[in-house]
Amino acid sequence: MRRASKYLIPVGAVIGVFVVWDLVIRILDVKPYLVPSPGSALRAIRDDWDVLSGLTWTTVQETALGFVTGATAGFALAVLMSRWALVQRVVYPVLIASQAIPVVAIAAPLVIVFGFGLTPKVLIVAFIVFFPVVVNVLDGLASVDRDLLNLARVMDGRALRVLLLIELPATLTPLFSALKLGATYAVTGAVLGEWTASLTPGLGNYLLVQNSRLNTDAVYGAVLLLAAIGVIGFLIVAGLERMATPWRARSTARRWWRRPAEVGSSPPMPVSEDVSVSE
Amino acid sequence: MSAGGGRPSTLGSVGAKLAVEDLTCRFGDTLALSEVSLEVGAGEFVSIVGPSGCGKSTLFNVVSGLVPPTPGRVLIDGRDVTGSTGHVGYMLQKDLLVPWRTVVGNVVLGAALTRGVTRRDVQEARALAARYGLEGFLDHYPHTLSGGMRQRVALMRTLAVHEDVLLLDEPFGALDSQTRLEMQRWLLEVWSELDRTVLFVTHDVDEAVFLADRVLVMTPRPGRIAAEIAVEIPRPRDLGTLTTPGFMSLKRRVLGLLYGEAA
Repeated sequence: MRRASKYLIPVGAVIGVFVVWDLVIRILDVKPYLVPSPGSALRAIRDDWDVLSGLTWTTVQETALGFVTGATAGFALAVLMSRWALVQRVVYPVLIASQAIPVVAIAAPLVIVFGFGLTPKVLIVAFIVFFPVVVNVLDGLASVDRDLLNLARVMDGRALRVLLLIELPATLTPLFSALKLGATYAVTGAVLGEWTASLTPGLGNYLLVQNSRLNTDAVYGAVLLLAAIGVIGFLIVAGLERMATPWRARSTARRWWRRPAEVGSSPPMPVSEDVSVSE
Repeated sequence: MSAGGGRPSTLGSVGAKLAVEDLTCRFGDTLALSEVSLEVGAGEFVSIVGPSGCGKSTLFNVVSGLVPPTPGRVLIDGRDVTGSTGHVGYMLQKDLLVPWRTVVGNVVLGAALTRGVTRRDVQEARALAARYGLEGFLDHYPHTLSGGMRQRVALMRTLAVHEDVLLLDEPFGALDSQTRLEMQRWLLEVWSELDRTVLFVTHDVDEAVFLADRVLVMTPRPGRIAAEIAVEIPRPRDLGTLTTPGFMSLKRRVLGLLYGEAA
């Protein structure tokens, strides 16, 4: 019951939005060329699916490639910045300045440099995803307890092992917060890229073309598809988060993750046999 | 096993497990430690009591190699280890368990951070943790454990690095008094079975006397060892020990030394 309601409630909420949308159209008698009903938007998707499937695939590619590029670059840069204070002091102000530039403004010069292909769109998406990843990963690295790092030093811990086993895992929770934001923003980046550089058309171009024809059914259909890309992206990231941070949701390690040693086997230990454990 | 309060007579003798010689430590204008010398015999349990800011934690940071002294020497088994790490087990009031590692994963942390965890490390960790009250929690993540259980894991992690000298810095300071008493008895049990040398910092006089063979009293500004009291209460000690006349008179002496009143 609990498990079922976990999935039923969000699905029900989405259906609820469609129902309210439909009711508002009917009750207020909104003209279909202003705002279509959800039914006609979905019909528009079905009727034009031969075209839309290819366009959706293009937009998905731009979104996914840009997302992975931005997340990877952001993570790597944050780790470098945390390693070398000088890098951080040089790079941080540049980063902040770069985020003050409107994304739309950099789209045009990117097209001049990289042409009308996939690259400028991927770069715009990456540009949007990149910044929150850098900031959150840096926060995660800074959140590691100084005393724990001192303990690692007392244990003679190797720098690389301390980084891999203590510092990087501490960035996972803030990293995934950034990635969940990024997954939804990324679609916006892809659409902006398509609007500026439109030789390989995607859903963004389709939306503009249909809008100029006042084909509102198709416009809303495209909006629904774009929203679906963002939601699915978010769900994939959330699923990865659950897999990558099992200690947040579970009380014990997954069986396949446990270390391969038998409890029953007795190692040589300098302890006497008649010990009662005081509880 | 324990030295039973018998203290080595001369400083710097080869027989001591841990010897600290004329340790001075300065932070800016503050003299955190002033010519501190002490010796701990193999298998001995020594408590250090003192008010906040008396340099107890600084002393541990120097002995563990985190902070270099200016000047002074730290010897383990007669070997000069001043300013180098990797030769003591160190445990703090904060358990510092790694949230994404299970109980066993935390116990083998020392191996994981140095040479890599072997099957043998894991077997030993499982046996150690199961033996000392963590049976049934071996694959649990730390967030599921109580404060006392977490400190057990932290001590197991400290034992698993296989260093003879353990520095325990107020390990039970954050626990409620009942759990603390339970943990003290548990620590004595672990110590009596595994042949380790313990230096135990606390500001709880009862705890210092109950656990130790000797109590060192530190005073602040500058941090130095003001007095040393041998605790000649027979082992094994238990709850009854806490109300014996011998315990009471020792406690009175330590309190007198700490607060400057007539003993």
